[in-house]
Amino acid sequence: MPISPTALAPTALTGDPRRRSTHARRPLVLLALGIGVLATALVSLMLGSNLISATAVLAGLFDPAQDVASVVWGSRVPRTVLGLLVGVCLGVAGAMMQGQTRNPLADPGLFGVSAGASFAVVIGVYVLGTSSVLTTLWLALAGATVASVVVFSVAALGRGLSSPVPLAIAGAAVSSLLVALTSFLVLSDETTLAAYRIWVVGSLSGRSLAGVDAALLFAGVGMVFAAANIRSLNNLALGTELAHGLGENLLRARLVGLAGITLLTASAVAISGPIGFVGLTAPHIARRLVGGDHHWLLPASGLVGAVVLLVCDVIGRLIGGNAEVSVGVVLTVVGGIVFIAIVRRGKMATL
Amino acid sequence: MKILPSLRRSAALLLIPALALVGLAGCSTPSSPGSAAVADSVASGPWSYTDDTGKMVTLDQRPEKVASYADYALGLLSYGIDPVAIFGRTDVASDPRFASYDIENTAIVGNSYGEIDLEALTEAAPELIVTGIYPTDREGTLDLAGPLYAFADAEQQAQIEKIAPVVAIEIGGKGSDVIASMNRLAESLGASEQTVAAAKAKYDTAAADLTAAAQETDLEVTQLYADADGLYVAKPNDEPELELYESLGVDFTDRNPDGYYYWDIYSWENAGQVMSGDVLLVNVEGYQQSDLLMQATFASDPALQAGQIHSWNGAALDYASQAAHMTELAEILRSSKKL
Repeated sequence: MPISPTALAPTALTGDPRRRSTHARRPLVLLALGIGVLATALVSLMLGSNLISATAVLAGLFDPAQDVASVVWGSRVPRTVLGLLVGVCLGVAGAMMQGQTRNPLADPGLFGVSAGASFAVVIGVYVLGTSSVLTTLWLALAGATVASVVVFSVAALGRGLSSPVPLAIAGAAVSSLLVALTSFLVLSDETTLAAYRIWVVGSLSGRSLAGVDAALLFAGVGMVFAAANIRSLNNLALGTELAHGLGENLLRARLVGLAGITLLTASAVAISGPIGFVGLTAPHIARRLVGGDHHWLLPASGLVGAVVLLVCDVIGRLIGGNAEVSVGVVLTVVGGIVFIAIVRRGKMATL
Repeated sequence: MKILPSLRRSAALLLIPALALVGLAGCSTPSSPGSAAVADSVASGPWSYTDDTGKMVTLDQRPEKVASYADYALGLLSYGIDPVAIFGRTDVASDPRFASYDIENTAIVGNSYGEIDLEALTEAAPELIVTGIYPTDREGTLDLAGPLYAFADAEQQAQIEKIAPVVAIEIGGKGSDVIASMNRLAESLGASEQTVAAAKAKYDTAAADLTAAAQETDLEVTQLYADADGLYVAKPNDEPELELYESLGVDFTDRNPDGYYYWDIYSWENAGQVMSGDVLLVNVEGYQQSDLLMQATFASDPALQAGQIHSWNGAALDYASQAAHMTELAEILRSSKKL
């Protein structure tokens, strides 16, 4: 029996009613997430391991002369700004990575970025004997970039880049090699181990805004690549062949995507050390809220990432007494539970 | 000063990991620690020694070939007892503390915590192996089920005990007790009374000079380790070397004597709480002057601003090492001013 085109049209164009309501509320969800980020940032400015009053924080914020012991401008402000930046970068990079690989378990570190940064930082401590925040940042940026280029070259030499599989395998191989070399250095030298252990946990403590320009530049350029990759990500979600059929230039789609993921992750890793779970979980939460269209998913994932990271950092500041618990540790606990909950509910969007 | 176990401990406190320590069956029987050593000065006769954990080691004759962890090797070397093998927490060959000793013919069998080359150690054929043990709390509790200091785990310790019997010096409580324990072992291994007395004379002179310097200057000294996570201030009642100097009259920052064991940990936000010191002794590992100046919440520290900051490495607890270290500290005090 022939189906008339008109009979098909309404559902084909608008989808089912539930999806339509998701579509309609997407701007509202983004707005709410934006407000959530601002609220979290405010909380992050107010709370810390040094329990100063809200009035003291505000006084210090607007008049640095009243900022007792530089707690506000020396600690709270940089942490909040950097936490937002790292969270957004990891959230966006995670969503891109899951879109590129069509794998819901893909993490932004999959292409060797974190392993490369770690190795460079360890080399820095071992050879240069420095663990200062700024040197570490530069080394991490350099290591992440070099590792990504190597991964991409290895993948390009092999079966090509149309499928994400060679990239993922090359990433895993290069990561394993770098992790082995890192372990070798770390095990052979106690001082290196001590510095590495502090860095690898992932923390926003002791960072300042001075000198992070390079990381900001990486993040900014990464965002441009991410925006340029949105259409391709939507096409790739249909499968490599269908995307190709839709006129997608696969090589360009992969290159732009890889560049975006690398720059965003490198920026985050350089600032805070390799923080897990944000890049993995934020896209899943965002997908629930705004659906799978990357026009909405990328910003939503970035905002969710920022909220998650800052909230976990604040928790870590409050549960350590005079000291603090690194955000990386809190995230491993909280993020792990959240991720299990997502998987258990079985509604993980298929990519 | 031990960095590693304390930081591990602080991490453990925060993470509360279920660390199942494998018990070492029959490794040592706790009895009264510090019981009188039965040292036979006749080299040919049977030799026995009771270490600080209460473990008694009996050998047919006094051991001539001794392997030791770096810190106690320094003590032995100062008494003319040359170890056949040394294992350290950091690179032994470049460790400045060994600069005045000839260790050309000594096998270096470990340069990183717990990384001990068992084959090389076996080849050195020690008859006795010396290491340490740190108490786990202020009361001096010794965890005899866990590995001794310098060993990676109970399994490694069991393998090392197959090479030669292991004795441990307790690094806790009073610094003078630790030195006494070192001396007791050295004398048992053949150091003559005159040698020890000569070392003690130099030590006493340096100690008296440190006391004088502390009285002249009346400064507060803060000994700390710092990294991106924050400041770790060593506690004079828990760290034997600091305890020793404090007993000689040096005033150390100790804001929270009843708090956590060994270190007081401050996040950078709370660094302002520990800016009372006139002199900063910063651990050679971790942040140094330039790194500290970049931490906005600590940059205004008066001692840091005045440049009264010195890299500081824990010295071994024996007469010779401490005499040198106390002389150094006295010089630092005299070259600093009250802020």
